Amino acid sequence: MSFGQSFLRNPDLFPARSAGEPWGARELVLDLPGGPYGFSGLSADQEETVLARFGDLRLSSEPAPAVTSSVFRAAAEDFREIDTRGWEYGLDFDSGPSSVRLAGLDLVGRLDWRPALRGALWTSVGAGDRFPGIFENFCRVLVAYRLHELGGAVIHGAAVVDGGEALLFAGPSGAGKSTVSRMALERGLALLSDDLNALLPAPGGAILAGLPFTGDLGDGGGRHARYPLRALLRLEKDTQDRLRPLGRAEAAACLLACSPFVNADPGRHASLLATLLDLMDGVPAYALRFSLTGRMWSILPAA
Amino acid sequence: MSFTEVLRKTWRDNILFSVLVELTYRCNLDCFFCYNDLGLRGEPLSTEQYLRFFEDLADLQVLNLTLSGGEPLAHPDFLKLGARARELGFVVRVKSNGHALRGEMARRVRDEVDPFLIEVSLHGATAATHDLQTRVPGSFERLLANLREVLDLGMRVKINSTLTRWNEDEAEGMLDLAASLGLPIQIDPEVTPKDDGDREPLSIAPSREGVRRLFDLQMKRAVSVARGADDGTLPAPVEKHCGAGSAGVAVDPFGNVYPCVQWRRAVGNLHRQSIGEIWTGSTGLQEVRGLTAEAKLRVDAFGPSGGFLNFCPGSAAVRTGDPLNVYPEAVLRMEETEKAVRKKGLLPILP
Amino acid sequence: MILLREDSVLRPAPDVRFRIVDGEAVVVRQKSSEVLVMSEVAARILALADGIRPIGAWLDLLADEFEVDRANLERDVLRFAAELAGEGILEIAG
Repeated sequence: MSFGQSFLRNPDLFPARSAGEPWGARELVLDLPGGPYGFSGLSADQEETVLARFGDLRLSSEPAPAVTSSVFRAAAEDFREIDTRGWEYGLDFDSGPSSVRLAGLDLVGRLDWRPALRGALWTSVGAGDRFPGIFENFCRVLVAYRLHELGGAVIHGAAVVDGGEALLFAGPSGAGKSTVSRMALERGLALLSDDLNALLPAPGGAILAGLPFTGDLGDGGGRHARYPLRALLRLEKDTQDRLRPLGRAEAAACLLACSPFVNADPGRHASLLATLLDLMDGVPAYALRFSLTGRMWSILPAA
Repeated sequence: MSFTEVLRKTWRDNILFSVLVELTYRCNLDCFFCYNDLGLRGEPLSTEQYLRFFEDLADLQVLNLTLSGGEPLAHPDFLKLGARARELGFVVRVKSNGHALRGEMARRVRDEVDPFLIEVSLHGATAATHDLQTRVPGSFERLLANLREVLDLGMRVKINSTLTRWNEDEAEGMLDLAASLGLPIQIDPEVTPKDDGDREPLSIAPSREGVRRLFDLQMKRAVSVARGADDGTLPAPVEKHCGAGSAGVAVDPFGNVYPCVQWRRAVGNLHRQSIGEIWTGSTGLQEVRGLTAEAKLRVDAFGPSGGFLNFCPGSAAVRTGDPLNVYPEAVLRMEETEKAVRKKGLLPILP
Repeated sequence: MILLREDSVLRPAPDVRFRIVDGEAVVVRQKSSEVLVMSEVAARILALADGIRPIGAWLDLLADEFEVDRANLERDVLRFAAELAGEGILEIAG
């Protein structure tokens, strides 16, 4: 099935440029890693529902956004009707060297580098509870690509704060991110997110920053949540608790599998791997086998 | 009365006859020199407003209705609007890039909209050049395939092209390509600034040599040097330079009404007034009508050469801020056309 | 020659588009891309040929409008409508 066909009635009409009719005249600047991110063309209702979810990330007009995106109208008829019962949410991507196209449930979007990154989102949802989800899905992709161009990455993993530093627990689905997150909260540790976190380059290591794109647990830590990355822990469920050091390549490979959107972009695969190798330079990484006893906390690298 | 006399009457007596509607600025191509003002904001006209507008136009006895964009097919209710336009008895033209004109969409456009003419844009005679301008890989091959499909469906198609620095060496190839498809082609030698005044498109304006070669080619092949009005009719000699605001208007997706697609001086807005009210009551339109009469005097001042002057007050307004300023590019084209015509020993192709 | 009667119902042919400009009809035939400018009478007949009203109803209207004798009108209108139908500009509805 070619790009967009599963979501769009007529993929031939996929917008090739950031243009169309905006939903409204509202503008919004959000402080997310790699930003600030500006959004224009929102209706008053859209703005209100976005602020209900991301209000504490709102910035006044200063500083000027580093990345701007426009929101445009699409018609409900542009999209195929999808029975979402039991349907696992997904996006359809088509990427090139200077653009990325995406299509999803009631949304199409573009990222264009000309040469600076600009985003555009078309949706048929002008108001109501469904808009923040559409907006967030677009933002997840936007931030992932923005961080990639800044030498960082969005990582699918659980980030736990301990002693002013962050531990990043990563691994495939079912490896135990949610379990570790719950155990961390039970121990009174802070959790950035159990879903998506931002990994940014820093002198001599990497920084983990909170993202408001949380799963079931954590709140992203708010806009100033930035912690030096103490260690990466590749999760493996077990009945014992054991730590085995990982080489830098193994660590990068683990993160590659956990870098949503960009890791599925064939044209950016090599640059993503190089970025992750750089990010893990000097950051300890381990394979962590852990049990539900909580003993693992005693063997984790300390501050 | 001949048709030319009817046209003359529409210009002279301010009878609205041709309307171009930019349904949306959404587009599935991203042409480098596109003139659309993508920063324009406002409340888009709703489908219901368009339907009322079309009814008003029919009541005013407007004959020609051109659906444009952006890509008009990208308007979610394009087919509904087109079908209503047909029902209301307009001669409908569709200005499309042709990229989505295939399969079910092409058939539905034919069966439901029944356009008099589809005007598609060609940007070069090779995929490399065409796709460079549209910035969508594969758009050239797609266009050729779609053109064949649309012709098989029995639709009437015209190719429009704009001569640029990038495609000027392919002008002959474009004429050949059109001929091989059996289609008329009009190559416009003028790249215009964007509607917001941005001059970036002019960075690929054709060279003087390119323009000269195009005119030589057109003369050799007896292709008329484009002077037709936007509705496909030839201007009729009257005391006005063009029918902008006198026999035609253009409307953007936000309801702003302009004297012509190139003259972006808003003379009213359909959110606030009906087209009938704007047509009879707009002081802006009255001024525009006066300016087209003055433009005629400016062109006449060039003497016999003025017959070769393809001057557009709208383009002059965007380029220089003054709709009566005969900008150098127009003079250049006048000189080159005149040379080409004189070399060939033919009479100028005049209305 | 197409024979028409008072109960004949006519409408413009599908490829015909027309408008009335200053009392005259500008007729475009889409298939042939031919443009015709027709008289005031033709303009009036084109406007009346709505595919619903029979010619008899036109005659009632026109007789009132022009204050002429209906019987005299009938012959001219039928002949003119038949000419337009013969040229393919009007067609019999239904």
